[in-house]
Amino acid sequence: MVLTLVIAPLLFVALAGVLQLGALRVAVARVRAAADLATLVAVNDQDDAELAKSGSLRLSADAADVARQYFARELELSSSLLDGGADAIAAAADIAAYLSAPAYDTRTGARYERPTVRIAAQVPVRTPVFGALVLRPVTTVEVLSVSSPR
Amino acid sequence: MRGRAAAAAVVAAIVLWPSSALAWDPFRDDGRLDSPEPERDADPAPLIAPPPGIYYVTDTYVADVVTSSGPVTTYSTTTVHESTGSYARVLDIVGTGASSAFDGSAFNGRRALGDGRAVAGTYYENYVLGAGGFVPVSVVFFQDDAELARLLAASPAPPAAIASPSAPSATTRTIAPACCAAERPVGAIVSRTPPPAKSIQPGLSLLPASASLAALEVLRGRAVSLYPRAFVEDREVPVRSWTLVAGDAGEALATTGSGSVPFRTSWRRLAPPDAAYQIVFRIEVDTPETGHRMVDAAIAVVVRSPALED
Repeated sequence: MVLTLVIAPLLFVALAGVLQLGALRVAVARVRAAADLATLVAVNDQDDAELAKSGSLRLSADAADVARQYFARELELSSSLLDGGADAIAAAADIAAYLSAPAYDTRTGARYERPTVRIAAQVPVRTPVFGALVLRPVTTVEVLSVSSPR
Repeated sequence: MRGRAAAAAVVAAIVLWPSSALAWDPFRDDGRLDSPEPERDADPAPLIAPPPGIYYVTDTYVADVVTSSGPVTTYSTTTVHESTGSYARVLDIVGTGASSAFDGSAFNGRRALGDGRAVAGTYYENYVLGAGGFVPVSVVFFQDDAELARLLAASPAPPAAIASPSAPSATTRTIAPACCAAERPVGAIVSRTPPPAKSIQPGLSLLPASASLAALEVLRGRAVSLYPRAFVEDREVPVRSWTLVAGDAGEALATTGSGSVPFRTSWRRLAPPDAAYQIVFRIEVDTPETGHRMVDAAIAVVVRSPALED
């Protein structure tokens, strides 16, 4: 009986932590998918004028805006997991569109051989169980997504 | 009186009566007189006398011939001794560079010299004899000219084309053309040198007046329009038609079209890695400047699709 009273809270805490960790991994996956989809959509449009002039693929001038817009839309679907508005999170994201290649990413130091859209965002995810366990109630997930036409 | 007249008539009849000569014939023994004369393919004579100026054709037009001998380029016309039952008359005799009211009406056209002037020659109109009389059927141009083509570019002051300024040779004048192009025995062309044609640079562009492209980079599924074009000395000439002759057309609406219609398509499949779709169009150009020509235009199409980077 005493053992049960001692072990049960520990089991409960462990179980809650595991569930919260699983929920966090799900949230991270959804946030990452939102960023990936946003970059994919953003590079799926090319500049008509450049295409007619040189025949080469140059991203549309509004690629960064498109990426931010779609990032916000996708985050909205997981709004219950986020600690903040989807639009605000998307607005704060570092989104860069490299319309022509080659290009260098000053944030990551990467060299892109093709036109690229990159999203680097910090997405606050609610982790209430962690907060109850004297941990952070909000876990910030850093997401990086890079997409280019291949 | 009557008796004297009758006697004179008898004497005249005796004198004028035809009879064989009684002289010795040295070839009598070889029997040549006994054998019938070889039959000649006599040209059929017209049944109805043609009006003045129209005569029966005995030599048929074959082809325009351009021959070069050293620096001299000669423009002539070949014929074959053949009667097609048609008639002809001279319409106009034109000199080098001179214009004629019949320019453009001849089925075989009128060539130009190296300096752009039209060659000298004669326009004939061909007729056939129908129930209602002589019916004009076609116009043919017999060219007869020459030029020092290679010296034109070298000399500071371009001299005029030499020889046969207006009147073709007598041999040509005795030849009457036949009626129509369908009767041209193509196999009888002896030496036909292509005209001094200007080179045609084909091109493909995404807009009717944009730059020609050798390669194209498009996104998968994106609709594009390719305009086949042609240029002569950096000047665009109209394209009569085009045909896709090689390459993956993708989701093309049509693989052939007139010059004003672009090639519209989109590609839903990606080419193999590090490869491109090589598309080749055959462009038909037919202008007085170029003649009827076919040129091929190629473009490499790279189809890309969005992908995530690592």
